[in-house]
This record gives sequence, structure tokens and C-alpha cells, in this order.
Amino acid sequence: MTAELTIVGKPMPRVDARDKVTGKAVFGVDVQLPGMLAMKVLGSAYAHAEIVSIDTSRARKLPGVVAVITGDDLPHNVELNFGSRGHSFLAKHKAFFYGQPVAAVAAVDIHTAEEALKYIDVKYRPLPILLDPLEAMKPDAPLIQHMGEGASEMSMHNADVAEDDEDHTEELDKEDIGDSDIREAAELASEAQAEAAPRNVASHIVFKQGDVAKGFAESDVVIENTYRLAQVHQGYLELQNATANWDAVNQQLTLWVSTQAQFYERQHAAEVLGLPIHKVKVITPEVGGGFGAKFGLVAPLVGLMSMKAGRPVQHIYTRHEELQASNPAPASVITIKTGCKKDGTLTAIEAKVVVDTGAYSGSPMSIICIMLAAPYKFPNIFIDGYEVLTNKQSVAAYRAPGGPNSSFAIEQQIDIMANEVGMSALEFRLLNGSEEGYTRPDGTPQPKIGLRAVLNALARHPIWKEPLGPNQGRGLAIGGWGGGRGPASAIVKLEGDGTFEVVVGTVDLTGTNTSFAQIAAEVLGLPISKIHVTRLDTETAPFGPAAGGSQVTYSMGVAVIEAAKDARSQVLKVAAKEFDTTEDDIVLDEVGLRSQSKPDKKLSWPQFQETTSGWTAKYAPVLGRGSVERRKGAPGYAACVADVEVDPLTGYVKILRVVAAQDVGKAINRMSVEGQLQGGTVQGIGLALWEEIMYGADGRVRNASLLDYRKATPRDLPLIDAVIVEQASDDGPFGAKIVGEPSIIPPAGALANAVAAATGKRIFELPLTAERIARAMGRVQEYDAMTTTAPTLTPDPSPIRGEGRGRNGRNGHGRTNGKVKTTNGRASRKATARKAR
Amino acid sequence: MEQTTIRFTLNDRPITHAAMPYRTLLEVLRDDLGLTGSKEGCGTGDCGACTLLLDGKPVTSCLVLAAEADGRKVTTVEGLAKDGKLTPVQVAFIRYGGLQCGICTSGFIVAAHALLESNKTPSEADVRAAIGGNLCRCTGYDKIVRAILAAAYDEGELVDESASMPVMEKPLFTEGPM
Repeated sequence: MTAELTIVGKPMPRVDARDKVTGKAVFGVDVQLPGMLAMKVLGSAYAHAEIVSIDTSRARKLPGVVAVITGDDLPHNVELNFGSRGHSFLAKHKAFFYGQPVAAVAAVDIHTAEEALKYIDVKYRPLPILLDPLEAMKPDAPLIQHMGEGASEMSMHNADVAEDDEDHTEELDKEDIGDSDIREAAELASEAQAEAAPRNVASHIVFKQGDVAKGFAESDVVIENTYRLAQVHQGYLELQNATANWDAVNQQLTLWVSTQAQFYERQHAAEVLGLPIHKVKVITPEVGGGFGAKFGLVAPLVGLMSMKAGRPVQHIYTRHEELQASNPAPASVITIKTGCKKDGTLTAIEAKVVVDTGAYSGSPMSIICIMLAAPYKFPNIFIDGYEVLTNKQSVAAYRAPGGPNSSFAIEQQIDIMANEVGMSALEFRLLNGSEEGYTRPDGTPQPKIGLRAVLNALARHPIWKEPLGPNQGRGLAIGGWGGGRGPASAIVKLEGDGTFEVVVGTVDLTGTNTSFAQIAAEVLGLPISKIHVTRLDTETAPFGPAAGGSQVTYSMGVAVIEAAKDARSQVLKVAAKEFDTTEDDIVLDEVGLRSQSKPDKKLSWPQFQETTSGWTAKYAPVLGRGSVERRKGAPGYAACVADVEVDPLTGYVKILRVVAAQDVGKAINRMSVEGQLQGGTVQGIGLALWEEIMYGADGRVRNASLLDYRKATPRDLPLIDAVIVEQASDDGPFGAKIVGEPSIIPPAGALANAVAAATGKRIFELPLTAERIARAMGRVQEYDAMTTTAPTLTPDPSPIRGEGRGRNGRNGHGRTNGKVKTTNGRASRKATARKAR
Repeated sequence: MEQTTIRFTLNDRPITHAAMPYRTLLEVLRDDLGLTGSKEGCGTGDCGACTLLLDGKPVTSCLVLAAEADGRKVTTVEGLAKDGKLTPVQVAFIRYGGLQCGICTSGFIVAAHALLESNKTPSEADVRAAIGGNLCRCTGYDKIVRAILAAAYDEGELVDESASMPVMEKPLFTEGPM
């Protein structure tokens, strides 16, 4: 590796760009196989119902229909966990949300499959519907009870027996919790005590540090508010899809999946279909956006259908199904109380976090709890988190899952407190922002983080000098994200023409293959034109981690470095021998290799390759191998400043300027890093201003189209100024940190703070619609009568009760039972329980 | 119901094709004619991923019946580059990072071509209006807008030098007819 970087750090066009601007790139939706059938799914007509009977006989008779499957066709040799969405890919006995698959048809074309759905006769017995998580927690609420959940399991949902009265404290797996391995955050399922136990709680967690009562007693300013966020969709433009081909002779299933994680996809499909892992092969075409949502949602059902139909089958969601019955990001209700002293020093944070996970567990509830406090130095912390079941499509990850939920709440609290003590938003955050060595709510010490560097970089930005006119306001917010970190493996091999091929098994969502080309070129000391990057399938690629948790470049980048170093060292050894010189005498360039001291000693790449792979080759083929363990954590911190103008009559928010800053450690590819910051920021703006999945009283989504589910369009936005801060990590490639996720976190808080600055009114609920703002400004008197949206959440029936409610409070002595909920079919890490010291 | 015969010009070549009358132009292009560059992101004309040129005007082909193309000129993203040489718009998208995952890219490129046909000196607002019917979830639109402005004003510099731009090898499919 050279000290002076020549390729890493430069802006570089994506290696796949040429295929994508010409329409050549093949995505999952473009896969076509001979004899392929089209599949359609019949979704539940009720948000909560027993399935009494399903008669598919008429549908089967429709010409062109090849197979119809229902819950009865689920594999019999597999123990499915019906409390897990990942295992419940076809409803059996009960449906838990509107549109949940209850039957599926495979037919010769999509029109026939769609027609056949009409001939499937399902008899339901409707059950009470729960849509509001606070209602669902009430002691008299009906229960959402999955099949096979017995009394012991129900104790997690609805503990009505306290096994003892002693106070307990929860000890968490400190190393791992909150580290955003998206589906692996350990969630502590705690039994609540006897009286007033909240119902339908899928998981419960408590984080405690210090003594909040003491903290608030020492405070000069104490602020308490309740913040609500709507359920939002990840919004990828490529619809969820998978194509399956069952080979009955070899009992092997091949899946083409629009997925972020092909190795996870393989494992999950094998698990729920009862196949050995080596009999499932996942091929990942180009993926048209995932943002956390493409982890195992589609493939099992398509796989099962191909096994039943005996032909290749393709399933592509409709946009309506995406918004009604996929796995979006959770709504939440966060009641939060924070305090500080006159000089601005933070004293305490106390919060009750209710996360609406929908019909199955799997929300980032514990991460939301951690990230409420993690960006700041709160000496006293009490955070009480509940993951609550409702009859909605269950949720999954969305870029920094839960990050915006936390940030929207805490960043307004911080802003209010800064105002109260007369400090600027920037000063207050510089004073209180977390740094290395401080402890997060889960007990993990912060590693080296760049929050301060980001704020300092932002402080120098010219946006602060832009004058603001009437009805205009400026808002700042921050956010941080732990991210994933491997493990990863890669291969670098020498091809006949002297190009080096980098082979990986990671899905390229963000331009990671381009970064790998840059990394390999840098390490090999060759121009980037000599590098090809190839993603192979699960059968042929070395293991690569999921494209989630912003980890691909961070962890796989190191494997590519190792593989390229290995390849280079093999090349040098052979050349030194061949040229009868030392390794450091060898120079590599675009044409070939030569000795510096002996000008006559040189080989072109094809000549060299002949010596390692030719018929009479003297040396072994060049095959570089990089296999690296999990990296150290390298959280990414981001900040956003937004200037807005609010129409004083209508509440319409016009975005004037946006600056997004983030510490990325080292930008391997400046162009793609800027793109990540801009894209994440606009997703954050979208959920802040417009996006919301709205449910009717029957559990149907009322805005299940892209006309009504309002995403950011080109006309809504200014250019986004991306400020890249580079504070090198210890363990990433060339000092890189995680990049993809953090930028989505701050915009909601920044915009809410900007709106407050412009109007003098605080909005505590997302999205910050014109209606809500106009209403806060007193412009819409009859808003409630006029509204056609779903009923808003009722106020929290059990708000935090002032000072003195420490761990002996209502939820303070939950007993952990060591039981851990699975998140989307994967068991999460065991949490241990032990007595209070 | 019987198939209807449609005669139209597809990417400068005459074509005759029979399709059921209820099928959309997008479906016929993708499923029958193998032109999968145009994508379906919503099926309701809201996302613009299926944008193509019908007689030179951008349309969302998920809302156009195949039969409506009869006697008309259809240009898809596949028909923009001539003899393997990319257009300035395509080169600008590559150079300026105007794409990430790429699923919306065809629609943006086609919409940008339509704009630059009628307006050689667009403002940023003109560009945003022209692509106002296209959704992208990755880029935040910043680099797309910059790429289209560059294509308008730096056209001369945006020559396709394919050799200098790395191209990904594509052995994505290790089985099947791909």
C-alpha cells in the first residue's frame, strides 16, 4: 500500500453505470426463465381474522392456472415459528394484517393469475382489530395471538403473573446491543409485573444509568413532550420480487432474489422450506434499492410455489401490495423528559418508547431507545421501551432503523433546552455532544466518534451567514449510527490479459463494487482499468455480509485489501524469482512487470500469466485471498442544517437550503459518498414532511399508491450540499467508517426545529404536513372535522409521572425471563438476567 | 378476445407484433420484445420508471396500451445510444453520478432527452419540471439535476470514451438463459 493515495479518495464513476444508463443492467424484475409462471397472492380481506376455510377448487379449474397454494401447503417437515413474520409467509388459521398472503396462484401469465384470485373462496371469522399501539397495551385490549403461542409465550405479550416481587435489573450483552446488526439487536423480553401489565407487548427493554430523580432535581430546565412518527415505507423503486426454479431431480432450489443479503436469503429459505442449505442457491441480480426492506420477505413463498408447480415461478409485488402488505418502518410514540442546568449541561433523560411493530415482532425498538440518549452526555438515564403488536403489516429495517424516530424526539428536546438557557443550537450540542469514552445507555462505551468534528465543520459552513426573511427559519439536528461490521471474504485473481478480478458475494447497493475496484487498484498499484469486480452467487462466491448496517465497504473493503495484498505478494514472488532479483525491485504497471535494476528483465501481463497458468507454467496461479473477522465498531455521525420558509396562511413548507455533513472516516469514492449523504438526507426530508402510511379503521391502507403516498419529487427540493468530514477509523479500509445510513437521521429534527424557528410553533408529530403546521399556527379551526386521514393516536394514557419515578416505578421491576424474541425468523442474541446488585 | 396486430417503429426499426388488446406497451416491450430497460415501479403512472418516447414525447408506458403505439414511433432507453456510442446525457449521468441503484435511471434519461430536444438552455427549474414525474429514491435528485444541466451546457465535453470508463463484467447469471 502506498502512503500517497492515487485512486482511493477520488470521485469515480460507478463500474456498473454504463449498463444502467443504457437499460442493459438486469434487475430481479427483468429475470425471465423458459416456462416461467407468473404468481399472484390473495391477501387477507380482514386485518385480523380466523381463516375458517379456503376453497381453491374453482380457481384451479381456470385455464392457464398451474398451481394454487394455501397455508395447508406449508412444508410439513418444518417446524415453523408462526410468531415470526419470516416463517409466516403464508397465513395459517389466522391472518394478522390486511393483505397478508392467505393463498397464491401460479399461472401462465399475470392476467390469468390475477383473474384466478377471484375464484378463491375464503371464509373468515373476523376478530377485533388493534391499530393503535397505546390502545393495544391497555389492560382490556384484545390479544393478538399467533398460532402455537401457548401460555408461556403469551407471558411475553401479556404477563399477568409476576413470579416474584423483587426488584431486578437487566444485564445486557453489552458488546452487541445497539450495534445495528439490523436484525440482531438483542432485545430483552421482560415480564411486567402483575397489576396493569400492558398487553400485546412483543418485547420490553429498560435502560438505566445513574439516578434520573436526582438528575431532574439538579436541573434548572426540565422539558417533557410526546413525539409521534408515522409508519413509512422504504420507497425503493424496484418492487419486491423473486424468481424460483425448483429442480425436482436434484431436489435443489435456485432463487433469483431482489435482496440485500444473498447468504441470509439462502439460509432463511432453506430453514422455512425444510431444505439443506447447500440445496438452495441464491443469485442476486442488480437490486433496485432496498434500504433495509429486502431481507427474506418474498423468496420463501415463491420457492414453495415453484416446488408445488414444478416450473419456474416469478413473483413481483404491486406498488399497492408494497404499501399495504410489505415490511415498512415503524410508527412510534415517544414520551420524553430531559433536563439541563443553567449553563446548558445536561442532567437527565427519561423516556417511554412505544414502537408499533405491526403484526409481528421485528422492530428496532431497542435501537430507538439507545439512540435517544447515545448522541449526548446524559449522566442519568431511564428509558423504558415497548415493542407492541397491532394489526398492521409488520415492520422491518429502513436505513438507520429507528434513527429518525429517536432523532426527531431528542433533537427537538435539545433545541427547546438550548433556547431556554439562551445558547445557540450549535453551542449547546458542542457542549453536550457525546465523545469517545462516554457510555451509551446500553453500557457500551463510545468508540472514536466524529460528532464534534462534524459540528465544527458545519460551524464553518457559509449557510450560517445566509440572512433569513420573514416566515423563514433555520434548524439543526444531529444523529449517529452504529452500523454493521463484517465478517467478510474476497478473492482477487489474475486473469489472462493482466486484469485482476475481484470476486465478492456482497450485493452492491451504493456503489460498493466501484469502491472495491478503487481499493484493489490502490493496493495492487495498478490503474483502475486493470480491475474487474464481480459479484457471484451463494454457491460460488466467498462469504460476504449483508448489504445492511452500512457495512459493505467498511468490512468487505478490508477483505479486498487483504486479497489484493495477497495477490500482489504472489505476483512479486514469482517475478523476483523469474527476474532473479528482489521483490522490491519489481515495478507493476498497466502493461506488465519489470525489474528496475535490470532493464532487460520484463514481462507483459499475458506473458506473466503464461508463467503461472499456461500449459507449461512454472509457478502456481495467482489467487489472492482475503478473509477478515468482524471489524471494530465505527459509528457514523451526521448533522443537517435546513432553512425553510413556512407559508403563514397554509403551513406549506418550502425548503430553501439544506446542508448535510457526516464523518465518513475516509471517503473511498467521493462521488458515491456525496450521493449517499444527499440521498439519505432526502429520504429523511421525505419522512419529515410528507410520508405516512395511513390506515382506515378496518386496517386497510388508505393511500396505497405513489399518488397518495407522497415521496420527495425533483420539484420539492434544492440541491443538497454535502460536507464530507474525515476522521479516520482504526479498523476500516484506509480509515473509512460506515457511510450509508446516518444521513437519513437528522433531517426530521432539523426541519422540525426550522419550522419552530420560522413559526414559533413546535410540531410534535411527523410528517410535518401543511395541515399540522397551519393548525399549530391557529389557521385551521375546523381541522378535526375536515380531516379525512385516519384517526390520530390517542394521547398516552400513562405519561411519565414526574420526578421520583425511578426503577421502582410502574415498569421498574420487570423480571427478565431470558426469553428472547426472534426477529424475522432469526433468533436474536440471548440476553441474560441477573439480580440487582 | 383476440390478439390485435400492431405495426410501429421501435428504436428506428419497423416492427409488427400481435398482442392482446388489454396489454400495455410496457408489458409488451418487456415481456415479448426483450426490452427490459423500461421498468415498472408503480403501474399507475406516478413514478416515471417506464418513461419512453412516443413520437418524441415522453409518456409513462405503463399507462399506454400496446395497441396505441400502432403507426407511431417508439424510442426506449435502449434506442438512445447509436453504434454503441452513448449520448451526452448518458455520459453525463455516468460522470456526474446521476444514478445509484439504476432502476429509475432509464426513465430519467429518456425524460432528460425529451427536455433537451425542446430546450437547449434549461434552467435548474426547467430541469426539475421536466423530470418532475420521475421518482428516484437513492440520489436525492441532486446529481441527476447536475448531470442534465451538464448535458445541456457541456455537451461538447461529454463524449463517450468507453475505454476510459470501467465496465463491469456481467457473469451475473450462472445458469438460465440470461
